[in-house]
Amino acid sequence: MWTSDRVAGSALVLLAVVTAGETRRLPLGTLHNPGPGYMPLLLAVILGVLGAIVALRGGGAPRLIALRWSEAPHAFAILAGSAFAAFALERLGYRLTVIVLLAFLLGVMERKRPAVVVAVALGLSLGSFFLFSNLLKVPLPRGPWGL
Amino acid sequence: MAETFQNLYLGFSVALTPTVLFYAFVGCVIGTLVGVLPGVGPLAGISLLLPATFGLNATNAIVLLAGIYYGAMYGGSTTSILMRIPGEAASVMTCIDGYEMTKKGRAGPALAIAAVGSYIAGTLSIVGLMFLAPPLASFALRFGPPEYFALLVLGLLVLAYMSSGSMPKALAMAALGLLLGMIGIDTMTGFFRFHYGLVELGDGIGVVPVAVGLFGISEILLTAGLPTPPAVHKPKLRELLPSRQEWRDSAAPIGRGTLLGFLIGIIPGSAHIISSFVSYALERRLSKHPERFGQGAVEGVAGPESANNSATSGAFVPMLALGVPSGPIPAVMLAAMMVHGISPGPFLITQQPELFWGFIASMYVGNVVLLILNLPLVGLFVNLLRIPYPFLYPAILVFCVLGVYAVNQSVVDVWIMAIMGALGYLLRKFEFDTAPIVLGVILAPMLEMALRQSLAMSGGNYAIFFSRPIAATMLLVGLALLLLSLRPLLARGADWRRSVGLEEKRALGEENP
Amino acid sequence: MTLRLLTLFLALLFLTAPAADAQEPFPARPITLVAPFPPGGVADLTARPVAAAMEKVLKNPVVVVNKTGAAGAVGMSFVANSKPDGYTLLLALSSISIIPEADKLFNRTPAYNMTQLSPIALISADPTILVVAADRPWKSVKEFVEDAKRRPGEISFSSSGVYGTLHMATEMLSHAGGIKLKHVPFGGAGPALTAILGGHVDALASGPAVVLPHIKAGKLRPLAGWGAKRVAALPDLPTFKELGYDIEFYIWAGVFAPTGTPAPVLKALRDAVRQAVEDPDFKGAMAKLQTPIAYLDAPEFQKFWDKDARMLADAIKRVGRIEEKK
Repeated sequence: MWTSDRVAGSALVLLAVVTAGETRRLPLGTLHNPGPGYMPLLLAVILGVLGAIVALRGGGAPRLIALRWSEAPHAFAILAGSAFAAFALERLGYRLTVIVLLAFLLGVMERKRPAVVVAVALGLSLGSFFLFSNLLKVPLPRGPWGL
Repeated sequence: MAETFQNLYLGFSVALTPTVLFYAFVGCVIGTLVGVLPGVGPLAGISLLLPATFGLNATNAIVLLAGIYYGAMYGGSTTSILMRIPGEAASVMTCIDGYEMTKKGRAGPALAIAAVGSYIAGTLSIVGLMFLAPPLASFALRFGPPEYFALLVLGLLVLAYMSSGSMPKALAMAALGLLLGMIGIDTMTGFFRFHYGLVELGDGIGVVPVAVGLFGISEILLTAGLPTPPAVHKPKLRELLPSRQEWRDSAAPIGRGTLLGFLIGIIPGSAHIISSFVSYALERRLSKHPERFGQGAVEGVAGPESANNSATSGAFVPMLALGVPSGPIPAVMLAAMMVHGISPGPFLITQQPELFWGFIASMYVGNVVLLILNLPLVGLFVNLLRIPYPFLYPAILVFCVLGVYAVNQSVVDVWIMAIMGALGYLLRKFEFDTAPIVLGVILAPMLEMALRQSLAMSGGNYAIFFSRPIAATMLLVGLALLLLSLRPLLARGADWRRSVGLEEKRALGEENP
Repeated sequence: MTLRLLTLFLALLFLTAPAADAQEPFPARPITLVAPFPPGGVADLTARPVAAAMEKVLKNPVVVVNKTGAAGAVGMSFVANSKPDGYTLLLALSSISIIPEADKLFNRTPAYNMTQLSPIALISADPTILVVAADRPWKSVKEFVEDAKRRPGEISFSSSGVYGTLHMATEMLSHAGGIKLKHVPFGGAGPALTAILGGHVDALASGPAVVLPHIKAGKLRPLAGWGAKRVAALPDLPTFKELGYDIEFYIWAGVFAPTGTPAPVLKALRDAVRQAVEDPDFKGAMAKLQTPIAYLDAPEFQKFWDKDARMLADAIKRVGRIEEKK
């Protein structure tokens, strides 16, 4: 019953409804002078309609439980790593953040040998920083102690 | 004509001096390095390195920047093809078929054709630039908000041809992308929309984090946890070169892409980004085997890459001929010229012939240098794929973070990339195509602004779109295309392409192996 | 294994530990000058010569960092909220006064308050000039205003964005002349210029440097300037004040520091900028940009800024929320 398309379509309809609600705060204007809320509301309506179409025609799609999620835990860990990178980038500075990120991904997730992990983490972090920040003058954040 | 060749000779005599050649080469190398960074495209590359050029003299500085520009465009296609990470927004279409070719072991040919296509497109468009700059520039200036709107509506119609899955799903993704593009300050009234207190969202969520997240990060999320890591192709030398069939298939797309890209590029504004999208759609429409698109069709690489490259030359037309800042990249180049005391204007060509022709000649030189740089590097890049995936993907992730951060020095962009990565992962699991979202994010703000500006100009009267010849023509063409695409739907009740594409996907089990 | 990693990590951190920084003389570290606009824009192009000249005077690196977004709000709020130790400075344009007012108009929490920033020095002040497309009939301000009175709301002008500096300048003219013009906003000064060059709008208020080449080429016609004095490059161009309109508008650029910076540090910075604007390299760079230097030290700059901010606040309140006027 709950096929993937039906779930996705319903999610889109929900998103459309929420968005339409959010546009309440923006002045709508008229057809001849559209205000800031006009296009978002129009698009939200279109999205809702399309989402409904996807959901209604979704009978032929594979069932939700039939979808394979085997790599999901791994993917979640990578996402957590990315979130950490976003959080830490300007607080710890580029080099420290990358070292921690690589140590996590290579050491914890991929279970590589510690010596290899350290070598790759240090090498990639310091090397890329040197190449892009020092040589190419791309401003990269520095953390405490100027790291 | 003879005068043009004389000027070109002058230009080459400037461009082929050792110093200028050196700067062109350095520019190309830096540009390639910067372009390989996911998300960092030509604009980011030039902006980042503009300060470094302040100490140089005018010609060297401009040549260096042009080299960076072209290098970034070439470099961007490398990551797109090898790792499905768009090097910049315009490379998104190359990701689709280019990566499929890589999975089939045809990474070398894909890179080679991208390089050669870019080279041909670049060279031909520079020829166009040389001979046609002044008349084209005057034509280009006639593109005001109504014409811009019509062009973008045409761009929207491209969405109908872009995806291989079901039409409602593709359109839903387009609507989602358009909606995402609404985030930010509304230029017409100053209202902040959907920003939830974050000042950084004032300019919208930016197409770079969205593209890198939806394509690159989602790819990593889908592949990293697989029980058997992806097969590593060890290419032989023979496999690095395109086959004769691939060359034949690419010839026409390269030609069409060049012309199309150049025409779209000369239009002032940021519309040149959509040149690769339009080229992909065009190739798909004209192809005799449209179901191959999305599975590794070489036309899907040749066309967009050529269109991309010639659009960049096209973007310089109004800038060089009239001194008009016709988009963010020409604006930076103009600023670079102003810093060096050259005031660009309509008389740039006549008053500063060494600069203009030197610039043109250096663009030729740049294209040649990049072709020479990139072809042998094809082998090197393809060998990068041999690195075991567990080591490769953390490195890719680091570079994605680096690239996305570097564009705006904004951590919010990195967050957006992560969120879009998660979204892309879910969408691909549910068999939605993510490319229309990127196009939607690009088009939405421009489309809305053009519409409302046009209505402001006409006082609310929609007739303005039909009283102006260029806009009216484009809208009629769009209408015709729309009706043509709906015809099979009306005739048979199903788009045969769609059903074939969908069936094939299920048969091959590509999406959920 | 984890323990080994942890030890290695801590060792690394210790190796890079800095010397204690107690009472060091200012400046002891690189100073960051934030330019809240993308590279190639007016703020950026002014910031770099300033940074280079200050570096020479202070014998200490001064690095320009672009923090762009939201018409400058991102960069400005960044500096306003940063530590007031003198190491983070802002090079802002006159739009610094506009953003908090616009926020108030929309009942938003302001991204920053003007009280959070203390002026160090004014660097340049370009008077805006009014240009019209060359093929339009008006040859003087008088003709322009008369025509505008006859056809209210029909003559169009472009701007870099709603509530932007170019919009505000034109708004002040409309108010002083009692006329109503049609506003077509664009996403920046560049597209606004392209629009008038293409003949899609009738008029534009712009800084002189970018339109000079087009004036010389005959594509644009200047009508008057918003400055108190005439523009050096256009000696025949009257000012609005001469023509009887009491308006003055400059696109100015100045250096700011977060409020709360200790007095000795402020003094050091003021001295540095004062010497920097005398530097011949700096003068040469600004001359190349065709931007006249208009240096004002902090106390005079504060007065200038207050007056300018009041003027802009009035203009913004008059414009009000766009969609409420129909």
